[in-house]
Amino acid sequence: MASTAIATPLAPTAYSGEQSGVWSWLTTVDHKRIGTLYLFTALFFFMWGGVEALIIRAQLGAPNQHLVSAEFYNQLFTMHGTTMIFLAIMPLSAAFFNYLIPLQIGARDVAFPRLNAFSYWVYLFGGIFITVPILFAVAPDGGWFGYAPLTTRAYSPGINIDFWVIGLQILGVSSLAAAFNFLTTIINLRAPGMSLMRMPMFTWMSFVVQFLLVLAFPVITIALVFLLFDRFFGTNFYNTVDAGADPLLWQHLFWIFGHPEVYILILPAFGLVSEVIPANSKKPLFGYPVMVYSGILIAVLGFGVWAHHMFAVGMGPIADTFFSLATMLIGIPTGVKIFNWIATMAQGHVRLNTPMLFAIALVALFTIGGISGVMHSSPPADLQQTDTYFIVAHFHYVLFGGSIMGIFAGIYHYFPKMTGRMLDEKLGKIHFWLYFVGMNITFFPMHFAGMLGMPRRIYTYDAGQGWESYNFYSSIGSYIIGVATLVFAWNFLKSRRSGAIAGPNPWGAATLEWTIPSPPPDYNFAKIPTVTSRYPLWEGKEADLESARFNAQEGKTAADFGIVMPYNTIKPMIVAFGLVLMFCGLLTSRVIIFLGAGIMIVSLFTWLLSPLEPEHH
Amino acid sequence: MKGLDRLRRLSPFVLTAALAIIIGACSGSHPNTTFTPHSDLGRDIDALWDRLLLLGTIVFVLVEAALIFVIIRYRHRDSNERPPQTHGSTKLEILWTLIPAVILVFIAIPTVRTIFKTQANAPHGSLNIEVIGHQWWWEFKYPEYGITTANEVYVPTGRTVNFTLHSADVIHSFWAPQLGGKRDVVTNRTNFLWYTPDSSMETSVWNGFCAEYCGTSHANMKFRVFTVKPDEFVRWAGWQKTQAAFGAKTATATTAASSTPEMMTAAATTTGGPYIFPKEKIPAYTVPATPPPRGLTFTAGLTGNAGRGQQIFSTGACIGCHVIAGNPSAMGVLGPNLTHIGSRTTIAAGRYPNAAAYLALWIKNARVMKPGVLMPTLGLDEYDPILKTKVTTASGGLTDQQIADVVAYLTALK
Repeated sequence: MASTAIATPLAPTAYSGEQSGVWSWLTTVDHKRIGTLYLFTALFFFMWGGVEALIIRAQLGAPNQHLVSAEFYNQLFTMHGTTMIFLAIMPLSAAFFNYLIPLQIGARDVAFPRLNAFSYWVYLFGGIFITVPILFAVAPDGGWFGYAPLTTRAYSPGINIDFWVIGLQILGVSSLAAAFNFLTTIINLRAPGMSLMRMPMFTWMSFVVQFLLVLAFPVITIALVFLLFDRFFGTNFYNTVDAGADPLLWQHLFWIFGHPEVYILILPAFGLVSEVIPANSKKPLFGYPVMVYSGILIAVLGFGVWAHHMFAVGMGPIADTFFSLATMLIGIPTGVKIFNWIATMAQGHVRLNTPMLFAIALVALFTIGGISGVMHSSPPADLQQTDTYFIVAHFHYVLFGGSIMGIFAGIYHYFPKMTGRMLDEKLGKIHFWLYFVGMNITFFPMHFAGMLGMPRRIYTYDAGQGWESYNFYSSIGSYIIGVATLVFAWNFLKSRRSGAIAGPNPWGAATLEWTIPSPPPDYNFAKIPTVTSRYPLWEGKEADLESARFNAQEGKTAADFGIVMPYNTIKPMIVAFGLVLMFCGLLTSRVIIFLGAGIMIVSLFTWLLSPLEPEHH
Repeated sequence: MKGLDRLRRLSPFVLTAALAIIIGACSGSHPNTTFTPHSDLGRDIDALWDRLLLLGTIVFVLVEAALIFVIIRYRHRDSNERPPQTHGSTKLEILWTLIPAVILVFIAIPTVRTIFKTQANAPHGSLNIEVIGHQWWWEFKYPEYGITTANEVYVPTGRTVNFTLHSADVIHSFWAPQLGGKRDVVTNRTNFLWYTPDSSMETSVWNGFCAEYCGTSHANMKFRVFTVKPDEFVRWAGWQKTQAAFGAKTATATTAASSTPEMMTAAATTTGGPYIFPKEKIPAYTVPATPPPRGLTFTAGLTGNAGRGQQIFSTGACIGCHVIAGNPSAMGVLGPNLTHIGSRTTIAAGRYPNAAAYLALWIKNARVMKPGVLMPTLGLDEYDPILKTKVTTASGGLTDQQIADVVAYLTALK
């Protein structure tokens, strides 16, 4: 096997001297370090959102409980959704975009390294902005979907919704900046020979997701600007009393963003398992071109199905029919992906290590979410399902069973690349089985609760309604997930320091990121490889192996190869700080707005006037 | 690894046990189930559901079986060989593109048919009921009969009922799961939902819910649907049209109040034989079991005087929001119409039973009884959690005795 021929693993080398310490993290423009920052921050928010979920489940574990008030419960479920979607799953995907895309396409960094840092800092500050209010019980309480007119000033006079409207705007800036960055990177920085149809599947799915982000986020931005104007300046887009306002405008705009958002959340996970399954079956991905096309098709169709979230609003039979059929169509490319993953494993040498277990769990559990998805693509049937716990069960099978399982497959698979050390397999398997069992105990009973009449988003329910046992199981299951997450956290922190040495390619995988040392040097590739095949380490072409051997050299610095590295800079962080401060001013005083804008403009100016890297000689 | 192997061996048993628990749970009673519909719409939906469940289960079993088979069959430990490097198969991929497509056709055809059937205009001669969603209660109007009521809606079996849905504020969703699907109650719009409760159905009561998140007390925005025989409906409607039995006349009826509300009996007698829903036909699951909030108490042993209660009601804050037909000063329309409040089974949109003790606590401090409500806290020295002040005499606070009087009055309004 080609991969085993590569140099004996050395102990992971730390970043070079000037690249350590807090200051180096604040000023870094290295896509790998930014990816690491994304990973840590997003895992923190994942646990934060998890704690919110545990409080929710404690409240619902039995009927008529008073653990939290109605007001606080509404903040909890709003922030659980908002946190998991915008602060956990999307940035976890972004961690992989950052870390992997340049490595997979054979690039030294992303196209705009400083913009990349800016995206992270905006995400961090925006995340703090939207998270802190719950500590003071003034968190957003309009649901992650924020339906108008409930979220207008007339029905939500408090500061709560302001945090949500402004916070999502801030996070949108981060996502858009990052999306343009990755698009440019993938289009322009691919190594010679890396044609689009040679790109690893994760990069392909990421590529598709960046288009979704670029097309979907402007819609929510506009929807939020309207709401912001309604709330702060008395305009009348969604308010109800005056003629002309239409609350359904919000729903359409929100879901034109919101449905592609679902694919923004799931496609990166699809990409990750499309890396993990071939590596652990020792077989190329089955039907690579079809996997690419089905991903694109899912994304394109994803823009034409938004109103399936609105079958109960009374759009009329023609619209219902259209959106129903379009939604069913999406089932086809999704099904093809499932079958192709299974076919990849078939006749392979399937190795059931932790990443592979998580990847298989995605295939198994996403299938359940997909099937229940088809169930509510039928509008009449959806009239009994929408806004019940059946839907909660459905999208947790998609987002937990799909996105989270896929992301953890990715974490276990790529942790050795990021740190040079393996995660503990034993703890990993405990984590996996607790997740798998806990997840099903939590979310499967919700199907029953929903079909037996339990509405969503209720902070309490009466005894004797036939829901007690299902809710009790769900609550038990959620705490199993909670314990498992602690097992993972322990494994993650412990293995970073003392895990087994990984070497450049512990899984015997095929793509470019496995040709370089683990953790990769700051310059990634000593020599930009010339790619001649889709699986450079497997197809055994001499040119590919030659460049792999060269790039596997450990312990060298950029200077040894005469590689020019960009300067570290604090400016992106200050610009991000100014931006968020400016938004904070909307809630406090005009002085803060001008102060924030001033900081942003001045630091942006100096950023743009300072060179990215030393001059080339 | 030994522990892991043990875990692996144990896991089928754990899963079986979990499944057994779930199946065991299924055998309990499910008063709000969507699986035993009691209307034409409910049955149309259920027929679609049955097909979706059948096809879904087949797909689920086949996919998971294939996945498990592949994992077991092709599992390799510590192999250094690489398997044959296949890259795909056009035939297979076309096959598994077509299979889901064919399955979806079998779902799409009955779906589209049902969409057009159930979203046609309601048939001629339907009973029109206007539903108005409020934060957090339901108003029901029968234009045909000139009736306005709240949170409890009566429908005759065997006649199509056409709910015309409006919202007074934010978006709600009207849903009685046993009778049919839901429809959103959208601000600035009129929506319709119609179905025919089965004529074969016994006189009964069903739970209804608000299904669209609508703010603080979304969970407490419930209603009851009373399905009654056509002749019972006519009697009910005829009586609801009349003024409250207690009405404007000065009654001297008193109620014996005590700490146990059930002992408080309305003494007011009514004329003309009102249709009171038979108590024995009220199922347990429609009787709220929510305990009153801790810390909210009411003086034991008070006797309310309905006449005095009417006086207090008619000169106090109550009339600003509530209508009582027959009481000329009660004209406010912000809150539920109370004309026949004494005949209702629940208060606070289905959160508490309509018993004197609950009513007394409700008047005393509604905002503690149900978070976020517009109904002000009225009990003297009570803390209003929204205004964050104590209620004083100056701000119209009522003593427990005064509240008992009002309760006696309201209870008498059969």
